[in-house]
Amino acid sequence: MNDPINSSPPSPVTGSVVPGEGGDGPAGLRPWHKRRRLPSSPLYAIVRWGAAGLFAALVIGLLVSIVSQSSQAFAHSGLSFLWSGTWNPDAGEYAGGTLVVGTVITTSVAMVIVVPIGLGISVSLSELTPRWLAAPLSTSIEFLAAVPSIVVGLWALLVLSPLFATDVEPVLERLPVLDWFFHGPAYGPSILLASVVLAIMTLPTVVALSRTALGGVPLADREAAMALGATHWQVVRRTVLPGARSGIAAAVTLAIGRALGESIAVALVIGNRPAIPHSLLAPGATLGSAIVNQFAEASPGLGTSAVIALAGTLLLLTILVNVAGQLLVRRRGGRRLLGVGGAVV
Amino acid sequence: MRTLQAAEVGDGALPDMGAVEVARRRVIVRDCARRSIRRRRLTGRTMQVICLIAVPIGVAPLVALVVATVSKGAGALSIGFLVHAPTPEGVPGGGISTAIIGSGEIVAYAVAMAVPLGLFVALFLFERPGPIASSIRFAADVMSGVPSIIIGIFAYAVYVEQFHRFSNVAAGFALGVLMLPIMIRANEEAMRTVSVDLWEAGISLGARRSRVARSVVLRGALPGVVTGNLLALARAVGETAPLLFTVASPTLAMTLLIFNDATQPFPDAQQTAWGTALVLLGLVLILSVAARTLAWTLNRKTR
Repeated sequence: MNDPINSSPPSPVTGSVVPGEGGDGPAGLRPWHKRRRLPSSPLYAIVRWGAAGLFAALVIGLLVSIVSQSSQAFAHSGLSFLWSGTWNPDAGEYAGGTLVVGTVITTSVAMVIVVPIGLGISVSLSELTPRWLAAPLSTSIEFLAAVPSIVVGLWALLVLSPLFATDVEPVLERLPVLDWFFHGPAYGPSILLASVVLAIMTLPTVVALSRTALGGVPLADREAAMALGATHWQVVRRTVLPGARSGIAAAVTLAIGRALGESIAVALVIGNRPAIPHSLLAPGATLGSAIVNQFAEASPGLGTSAVIALAGTLLLLTILVNVAGQLLVRRRGGRRLLGVGGAVV
Repeated sequence: MRTLQAAEVGDGALPDMGAVEVARRRVIVRDCARRSIRRRRLTGRTMQVICLIAVPIGVAPLVALVVATVSKGAGALSIGFLVHAPTPEGVPGGGISTAIIGSGEIVAYAVAMAVPLGLFVALFLFERPGPIASSIRFAADVMSGVPSIIIGIFAYAVYVEQFHRFSNVAAGFALGVLMLPIMIRANEEAMRTVSVDLWEAGISLGARRSRVARSVVLRGALPGVVTGNLLALARAVGETAPLLFTVASPTLAMTLLIFNDATQPFPDAQQTAWGTALVLLGLVLILSVAARTLAWTLNRKTR
């Protein structure tokens, strides 16, 4: 830090009273509440408070601008914008219902894929595999959390999508019981592909965070379980997993938040058709993908306001998920949760 | 890499064994008593195998992704690719120099905005515990969960709509807003590792708050601050959504160039997209590795 404001030497302590800032009169004569203040330069206080105020203003500004800019669309479609109606600008229909459904479906399917696999990997890396294998594997998985979403999207569009169209989706259609989920022509771009992409993108986060949580379970707890005669797996199942549950919940909440808000990669692979999907192989659209595709070509006025209203809906959805996650973790005896993810990836 | 403290995830210390812990141990004992050791071992083995199977299933797509990007991107990569400006479709020999420069400029604006602001807000949180600090911390937590596309729209509303032009400044602002909450939280976590005793010692020597902040807090927190800021930077460099509505042309930012070229049917454009993706991936990986190695070396030096 090379800060011109702070370069003045520390002021010496004179007598028993700590000198205040500035030089207005001897310190001993000041009122008590000023006397007890710590020495500080007024400029530093201004910068500190200013930075905090600026950040608060940014947050409030973001909320206010999204709400105010979307008001026109909400006035047009009513609050039911949030849960019903479809998106069809050509017919003058501006509502987010189908897109909310699309967002919830893709995120849910992604979580159905990523939670068991992510937990399996975390348990393996933290409890089952020897250290020489677990350490490099988990480091590389953590590095993969930094892969930009656009790179994942590019790969999914040019490599995974053709593969899905020719090999994966036809096979899924032939499965006996699951054909309610998988039917209809296999295009490649589909809700399923978007969900798989979201799963791939969130996997490193889930693994990194839940592995940390598993590693944080005290050794004494494991030893206590072993002393009771538990097998290795019973220790994991009955002691380690319950002990780490708030950390795991934090990991999953963070992954849900990421999956809900991911727009670019999803826009590349979902096929962009805002309708209630009849099958996971059908193309769909999410709030994020619709914003990406519609914003540039939205007509000024109501059209733009409606796209911003989609953003507002998405914001509401992510905040709901985060608050729900916070409450869940708090009730279960954990402490803070959101900052954990922000610090790691 | 921050590790969760045991107290954060566990159910509490042993001496005060809560009802939950008692119930959990009872379940274990009952399990052991009811089922034979052979059966318990069998379940254990089965579940362990299921967990281990998840490793290749999860790691394979990630490896395939990196391998595909490297193999396809390497074909496009050359010195000319990095230093030449893009050419129109069909004209050979185009590069991505404008995108690299544009991305650099955007990121520079973002860093200029977010790094100092993040440091001072974190110092504020560190020095002034209280209701204001907690609400700012809460705001930072909420902000770090806001989807990047929404931040893009915010930047559009704040800058592009007001000044009626697209600009790298707007994009830098968007990335800055995106990085800021991550940096604040990482900086604060790093500052928490500095013991309060040291801070008090500095103050009791008569040093000003600003002096203590610089010489004690920042000095002690430096490894964490550097790591946190570099990781936030690595994340911002790869963002596309905030640039979508703020940058004038897709050739002026690497991520936008990839997004634009990926959807075009021409093999040349796709080749460019792969090459740019490889450059971006390399950049992000360098930043992540740098973050961790720097933290490691700084940690050793300050100790």
